[in-house]
Amino acid sequence: MADLSIELAGLRLANPLLSASGTFGHGVEMTPLVSFESLGGWVSKTVTAQPRAGNAMPRIHETAAGFLNSIGLENKGIDHYQEATLPSVLAERARHPHTIVVTNLGGHTAEEFAQLAQRLDEVEGIDAFEINLSCPNVDGGKLPYSTDPARAEEVMAGVRRVTQKPLFAKVSPNVTRVDEIAKGCEAGGADAITACNTLLGMAVDWRRGRPRLATGAGGYSGAGVMPVALRCAWQCAQAVAIPIIGCGGIRSAEDVMEFVAVGCAAVQVGTASFSDPSCLARMGQELSDLLDREGGRPLSEWVGTLEVPPQTPWRQTQERQTPGC
Amino acid sequence: MPAVAPDVRVHEARVHLNRPCGDDAFVLGVTLPEEMAPLRAGRFFMLRRKDELSPEIPRPFSVYRQTGPRELEFLVKIHGRGTRALHQSRAGDVLVTIGPLGLGWPDWQANAGPKWFVAGGIGSAPFMMGIEQAIAAGVPADQITYVYGGRTKGFLYDLDLFTDLGVRVIAATDDGSAGFHGNVVQACEHLIESEGKPERVQVFTCGPDPMMKAVVAFADRQGFESWVSLETYMGCGVGICNGCAVGTTPEGQLADWPVAKCCTDGPVFRASDIRF
Repeated sequence: MADLSIELAGLRLANPLLSASGTFGHGVEMTPLVSFESLGGWVSKTVTAQPRAGNAMPRIHETAAGFLNSIGLENKGIDHYQEATLPSVLAERARHPHTIVVTNLGGHTAEEFAQLAQRLDEVEGIDAFEINLSCPNVDGGKLPYSTDPARAEEVMAGVRRVTQKPLFAKVSPNVTRVDEIAKGCEAGGADAITACNTLLGMAVDWRRGRPRLATGAGGYSGAGVMPVALRCAWQCAQAVAIPIIGCGGIRSAEDVMEFVAVGCAAVQVGTASFSDPSCLARMGQELSDLLDREGGRPLSEWVGTLEVPPQTPWRQTQERQTPGC
Repeated sequence: MPAVAPDVRVHEARVHLNRPCGDDAFVLGVTLPEEMAPLRAGRFFMLRRKDELSPEIPRPFSVYRQTGPRELEFLVKIHGRGTRALHQSRAGDVLVTIGPLGLGWPDWQANAGPKWFVAGGIGSAPFMMGIEQAIAAGVPADQITYVYGGRTKGFLYDLDLFTDLGVRVIAATDDGSAGFHGNVVQACEHLIESEGKPERVQVFTCGPDPMMKAVVAFADRQGFESWVSLETYMGCGVGICNGCAVGTTPEGQLADWPVAKCCTDGPVFRASDIRF
């Protein structure tokens, strides 16, 4: 049986499969369908300083090849997370040494991100923070910290100052040069890059003259975004020395291996859990079976095995002088 | 945060029935691979075909009938991509089922006065088992009135099966093609005008939002308690995506947070607990 275990930012994980923030509850709500230890890591829904009731309805809409959402980071705030959600998460964590707990943090300012991290820094059992630089459904979709490398660096550096825990920076695909953003995160002290969050998208009911999401635009995820996410992950992997956690449209073990091949040490699975909330319980076995069929090499040996062959130029076209041109 | 309900399972189920129903609906019978405990009426499943015909995101459907330990029926109105795909199902086809989900109707109280079940169109789905279970819980059949409305008689699905339950059935159509000529609220008002107002009535409603709002407003005017079974867009059905938010009232039982989740806090709500 192929070895799926991985090393990620100094942490040992049973396998490379993590839940994607916002698609798997706040804590361990999904354990009736997916056992805690079947994942490499559980990533919380974004936790903010203050409670957030979230955006108006409708918040979701399925399109031809993917899924739009505009939830708006609904959560009961860090006090509630710490008091009501974390105890059951930490109890599971204590029993399973190779499944990590990642708390995803969301803030409006660099200071707010740092304050949240500082607040949870001493909680034993939270293995890492994922810094949500890239939610498209707050701040009017302006993505202030994931479209400018300097501001991404500022946030990460601020969080770095207050905690020694590994930091994952979750970046947005809604930029021309995601690799530059990843470099900014690395310079600020990130230990891994999560590439990437949702694409900005929208759908409309033209007969009624209304958007399908109450906020107009929202985040686009699911099968249709995988080529974009894969490209982002590949570009980030080439740009930084820290590991990449691939995220976007993964539905199968085959999809996981595409992200691994472009250089991802781990992956996150999101929208596929809406299609089948138990899918992550099976994906580890499917991944192991897949690698066995390919000869049984450990997963870690497949990381970054993609080679883009040098292009052989076509023969030169003969220059023709066309009168009058 | 509440965990996913412990009896929720994800299964591959076989279709055993696809029966046309009314002008634009069908009854889909599925056989699950394992037995279930008897289900509370008003709970639901997320359904999609396993193959590529269905959209990626399953759609929620109330359990219409539980016909055996592994057999369920769903009443489905052909509406969009998801329901069109399900409509193509034939015996032996495989569906992915997620459920049972949600809380369903409240406990039936035999001594809480007459019960009026008010449905519109496809909103009848949670009432077939609801009425059966109310009778089984000791509510006398003559205390139950089923008011079923639709634009025209082709949208009154399985009206005969509801009549067979032995309760009073009042059909209402906008065009007068069957039963009372008017909507369900007018039918309820007519009932009070002709028979007098009972001291206490419990009203349970499911149908299009404007109809349910009108039914709840009617119940409020009469001083009757009311419950609604909502239909919303749902991403997951199990309480993790926060896509099916319903506003809560500051004075209701869900007042501790501005929104409830239709999938896990509902889909049945006490009308006074929510804004919809």
